[in-house]
Amino acid sequence: MLKVDHLRKVFASVVAVDDVSFEIQPGEIFGLLGPNGAGKTTTIRIILNILEADGGTVSYRGMPFSDAVRNSVGYLPEERGLYRKSKLLDTILYFGELRGLKRSTAKSEALRWLERFSLLDYRDRKVEELSKGNQQKVQFITAIIHDPPLLILDEPFSGLDPVNQILFKDIFQEVKQAGKAIVFSTHQMDQAERLSDALCLINKGRVVLDGTVRDVKKRYGTNSAHVEFEGDGSFMNSLSGVRRAIMYENAAELELEPDAHTQQILAAMNGKVELRKFEIVEPSLQSIFIQIVGAPEKSPAQEVAR
Amino acid sequence: MSKITSVAKWEYLEKVKSKAFLIGLFLTPMLMVIMGVLPSLFMAQEDTTTKVVGVIDPTGNLAGPLIREMESRYQLANGQPNYLVRPLAVGKGINVPSAVSDADRLAVSDEIEGYCVIGGGGNGDSVAEYRSKAIGDLRLIGRLEETLKSVMTEQKAMTLGISPAVVKELTVKLDLRPVKLSKAGEEEGGFERVFFSAYVFLMALFLLIITSGQMLVRSILEEKSNRIVEVLVSSCSSTELMAGKVLGLSALGLTQMGFWAIIGVAVTIQFGVSLVTPGVAALMVVYFTLGYLFYAAVFIGAGSPLTTEQEAQQVTSYLVMLLIVPIALAFPAMKNPDATWLKVLTFIPFLTPTMMALRIPIQMPALWEILATVLLMIVCIGLAMVGAGRVFRIGILSTGKSPKLAEIFRWAIKG
Repeated sequence: MLKVDHLRKVFASVVAVDDVSFEIQPGEIFGLLGPNGAGKTTTIRIILNILEADGGTVSYRGMPFSDAVRNSVGYLPEERGLYRKSKLLDTILYFGELRGLKRSTAKSEALRWLERFSLLDYRDRKVEELSKGNQQKVQFITAIIHDPPLLILDEPFSGLDPVNQILFKDIFQEVKQAGKAIVFSTHQMDQAERLSDALCLINKGRVVLDGTVRDVKKRYGTNSAHVEFEGDGSFMNSLSGVRRAIMYENAAELELEPDAHTQQILAAMNGKVELRKFEIVEPSLQSIFIQIVGAPEKSPAQEVAR
Repeated sequence: MSKITSVAKWEYLEKVKSKAFLIGLFLTPMLMVIMGVLPSLFMAQEDTTTKVVGVIDPTGNLAGPLIREMESRYQLANGQPNYLVRPLAVGKGINVPSAVSDADRLAVSDEIEGYCVIGGGGNGDSVAEYRSKAIGDLRLIGRLEETLKSVMTEQKAMTLGISPAVVKELTVKLDLRPVKLSKAGEEEGGFERVFFSAYVFLMALFLLIITSGQMLVRSILEEKSNRIVEVLVSSCSSTELMAGKVLGLSALGLTQMGFWAIIGVAVTIQFGVSLVTPGVAALMVVYFTLGYLFYAAVFIGAGSPLTTEQEAQQVTSYLVMLLIVPIALAFPAMKNPDATWLKVLTFIPFLTPTMMALRIPIQMPALWEILATVLLMIVCIGLAMVGAGRVFRIGILSTGKSPKLAEIFRWAIKG
C-alpha cells in the first residue's frame, strides 16, 4: 500500500534519514520506533511531501506520493496545535473540506466523532477553552474525519491519559478491521510491542530492525529468566546457559544463552536458595533494542529495576 | 469544493469575526473623524464666556478707542461682549517694563487671558506685542490686530485732519477665498477640504493594509508555531494554500472598503458635503485594490519565514514606515503638486498606491501617469506574488532561527 524506498535526508551536515525503506500493507498497524531524534518525524514529513527527500522514493498504491493521493491520507503531527480562537466544529469542518469532503458529509462525520469522544456539547466552544487532552482528541478527529485508507500519526499517545489511550487503541483496531492501515511513531517500545503488527526501528537515521513483531523477537531475542528467592544467589552468574545475571535484593534477572536448558538451570538452583518464583520471559522490544544499539542514557539494570 | 475556496472561506470567516478586524472596521472611520474634523470644529467654535484682555498703552490715546471697539464689535451668542479690555497702564509717563512684569503675573495667574503692549511708534510704523499663555488663540489675535489697526488708522487720520467718516469710506474689507481649479472646471473646497480628503484616503489605505497585513502575519505565525501548517500542506499544495489566503484576505479588504464607502456615501448624503467626485472615488478603488494586493504579497513574503512574534512586529513596523512616507509629504505635495520628485516617488511600487492616494485629491495626475502606474503595479503584483509564493513554500516550514534577509531574497528569486 505504502512503499518507502531508500529514503535519505540531510540537514546541513547531519544525516537525519539514511537509507530508510519499509512497506505497509492494508489492514496493518505499523510502528515506527526509535529514540528521540532518531529520524521518525523527518521520515513521516518526507512521506507526506512536507519535506523533500534528498534521495529515495515514496509510493502509494504504486503511484508516486503526490497531490493526487493527498485525500487518501490522514495526518496527526507530533506537536499538538489547532486554531486556538476558532470553534471546535468549524475547525473540524475546515480540515474535512481540505481533505475533499463535502460540507454536509463533513458535518455528519464531525458530529459522529464528537459524540464518540464525548465532545458534542463543546462543539461551539473555542478550542482554547478545552483541556490539552480534549484538544488532542479534536486534532485526532481532524486527521480521521475523511475516513482515509492510510492514517499517519506522529506520537499519537503522548500526553493522553490512560482512559483515552484505551479509546485510541479501540479506534486503531476498528481502522485495522476495516482494512485500513495506520502508521504511528513512538519512542515507547512497550506500546509499539502491544499495538503493532509490524515495525521498523530507527536509530540515528538508520533502520536497525524491521519486520513483524514475532519475526523480530525470534531473530534477535534471547529469553531471560526472572528469579525471586531467599539466600545467596551469587552462584547464578556462573551457571551454564546463563550469559549474564543481574542481581537485585532477593531477585535476579538472568540473560540466557539461546540454547540454554531452563530445566537444568532450575534444577541447579534447587537447594542452594529458597526459590519463590522462576519465570521464563520473552524478550521485550526494549531489551532487543538495547541489545542492538546500546542504551545511551539508561543502563539495563536501572531500566529493569524501575 | 476547490481547496483554494475552502482556505479562502476559512481565512475570511475566521478573520471577519476577529476583534482586530471589527475594531479596525469601526475605529478607522472614527479616527478619521476625530483627527480630521474635530480640530477644525474646535477652531470654528465660538467662545461661550467673555475673555478679559489687558492693554498697556504708552501713547495714551489708543487704549480708549481699542476698549470701545473690541467690546462693541465682537459679541457672544447671548449678547454679552466677547472681550473685555482692561487698561493695565495707560499714559505717556508710564514705566513700560514694570507694567509688563506686573501684567505678566496677571496673565500667568489666569486673571487675564493675555494683554497687548502697544509700541510707542508714534505716527510711523507701529509695533505691538500680544503676551499670553495661550498664543494659539488665532481668532483673538486676529481680531485684536484688526481692531488695533483700525484704531491706529483713525488716530493717524485725526492727526492728519481727515474726518472719521472719510476714513470709514476708505477702509476696505477683503476676504480672499482660495478656489481649487482642475481640468473639469472650478471645484468647491479650499485648502482644508483638499488636504482632508487626501489625508482620509491615505489613512484609510494605510490602515487597510496594516490591519490585514498584521492579521495575515499573525495567522501564519500561529499555524507555524503549532504545526497546523504541516496538516495544511499535507492536505493541499502550498500554492493552493497561499492563493486561498490571498483570496480570503482580498475579500476581507473588500468588506472593509465597502463598509467605509457606505459610511462615506452616508456622510455625503446626510451632510451634503462630498469630499470627492465619483471619478476620483473610482480611481481610489483601483489604487486601493492594487496596493492591497501588492502588500498582501509583501506581507506573505516577509512574514512566512518568521518564527517569533517580536520579529513579526519588527517587520511590520518597517512596512509601516514605508506606508507612512506620503503622509509626511502631504504638505509639500499640496504646495507644489507638479514637483518632479513627487512623480518620481510615485513610480516606486512600494509607494505608488499611497502616493496616488495623496496626489489624486490634490491634483489629478496626467493620464499617462495613471496608466503607467497601474500597469507597473499589475506587473509588480505578479512578480511579488510569484516571489512570495516561493518564499512561502519554504518559509512556512522553516522553524528555529529566522532566515536572513539575503536568504529570503534568494528563495524569492531562485525558488
